[in-house]
Amino acid sequence: MVRDRYFWSVVGAGLLLGALGVLLAVWGNPENSGICVSCFIENSAGALGFHDNQRMQYLRPELIGFVLGSMASAMLFGEFRSRGGSAPLPRLFSGIFLIVGCGVFIGCPIKLFLRLTAGDLTAVAGVVGLVAGVWAGLKGLARGVELGPQAKETGGYLVPMLFLLLLAFLFLRPGFVLVSTQGSASQHAPAVIALGAGVLLGAVAQRTRFCITGSVRDTFLMGFRSPAPWGLLAFAAAAMAFNGATGRFNPGLYGQPGAHLDFLWSFLGMALVGWVSVIIGGCPFRQLIKAGEGDADAGLVVVGMFIGGAIVQSWGIAATSAGVPLAGKVAVLAGFSLLFAGSLLFRNRTA
Amino acid sequence: MFRDTFDKAVWFLLALTMAAILLLVARGGEPGDGKRGAGLGKAVEREMAYRARVELVGKLYRPVEELRQSGNNAAALLKLDELIRSYPGEAHGHILQGEILREMGAFDEAVASYVEGVKLNGDYLDAKSPLSRRKEIQQLVDEGLKSVGARAAASPGNRSVAASLQKVNYLKSRLAGGCE
Repeated sequence: MVRDRYFWSVVGAGLLLGALGVLLAVWGNPENSGICVSCFIENSAGALGFHDNQRMQYLRPELIGFVLGSMASAMLFGEFRSRGGSAPLPRLFSGIFLIVGCGVFIGCPIKLFLRLTAGDLTAVAGVVGLVAGVWAGLKGLARGVELGPQAKETGGYLVPMLFLLLLAFLFLRPGFVLVSTQGSASQHAPAVIALGAGVLLGAVAQRTRFCITGSVRDTFLMGFRSPAPWGLLAFAAAAMAFNGATGRFNPGLYGQPGAHLDFLWSFLGMALVGWVSVIIGGCPFRQLIKAGEGDADAGLVVVGMFIGGAIVQSWGIAATSAGVPLAGKVAVLAGFSLLFAGSLLFRNRTA
Repeated sequence: MFRDTFDKAVWFLLALTMAAILLLVARGGEPGDGKRGAGLGKAVEREMAYRARVELVGKLYRPVEELRQSGNNAAALLKLDELIRSYPGEAHGHILQGEILREMGAFDEAVASYVEGVKLNGDYLDAKSPLSRRKEIQQLVDEGLKSVGARAAASPGNRSVAASLQKVNYLKSRLAGGCE
């Protein structure tokens, strides 16, 4: 395996994601949130006026970079393929519940490991939850739970076009785009650097197919014969090294940035994310990358994530350092209900 | 995609529409365009509302400040109780309550008040906010980790001390930042 170029490209992607995940926080993003797809989606939804939390409104350039970097790479290497049409509404709702799960944990799977490698021990419950969720999702897949096949279609261009529009908004700054002057959304790396990092990561993730939940899934399926777990280990090692080198490694349970002590809900939130990710084929980051390469189904998940980003803030679902609100707990359980119902409805019983 | 007249006509219409959009956007950039003004106004309006809130808070809680300055902390607390009941969503009363309680030596109660205030409004943690109490909250956390932490270690079964320590840790987490 070590002679395989793909193996090293996955390890390289992991290293880059880990390094930039820490460095973007050094350059101005909130603590332990150098890269956090769910936080960035909540911020961007707020910037577009979808919610009114004045501390969470900023059009994050990293998100735009992920999609456009992926699109550029896919086009350059002839991999841009417009496809979709598989269970659109369940995918839209999956996107919403991905952000619900992340909002209750406070972070996406990338931030989960960034938190852990910065010494945040509260993230352990999330890691266990994510692994359990991926495992449960795989069990479902093995028993025929799947959302159906994709077809060739033309809608794959729409989400990349939407992100091109967001790129224009980022630089032209129309008056309806809101920017927080207080709170975590007011903390950000310089836009050009954040965009550049996003484009680079988007392109690399498109080429390597690297994703956190995908790595956990592949570890269950193939163990360490697959390059994915090595990529995940490289990501964690790079993040830990950069956190240590920049003085951001503070081990402990208490006083961690953007963390709470409701371990059960951290576990359930991330379990929901892991399970949904397996069914729809990737974590929030991977959905952005796939949307960039023409996958309209992933594009619909991205739209769902924006809706989720708006409602977790507007409906008081998102957790804070104080803990998980009642609405957050109910929303996570609603997500699981949907998963269970979906597992019954989308089961191919002849498999 | 350019096979017949229909295709060509549609492409033409598409180009025309795009050109019209570009023209409209470009024209929108000229001074005197009402819509652009309205768009920009949103940020200004928000800033104005924030400033107005800071002013209102100052005016609303002035009697409390006056009572504090005259050394009448007990009366100030009573007045604050009344204001907190009248404006339950306003964080400033809790922050002032925390400050007074701390001056009076009621440390655990002061922490609880600060926590209520910070939960209602995170501006008190922002160094740049005119309402910022970041330095005071940092001192409270440093002191709390020592004193409440020592008490919690000495009597691990004491639930009220454990609750106080949890509140100190909450403030510590908020000071550490991160996404909210």
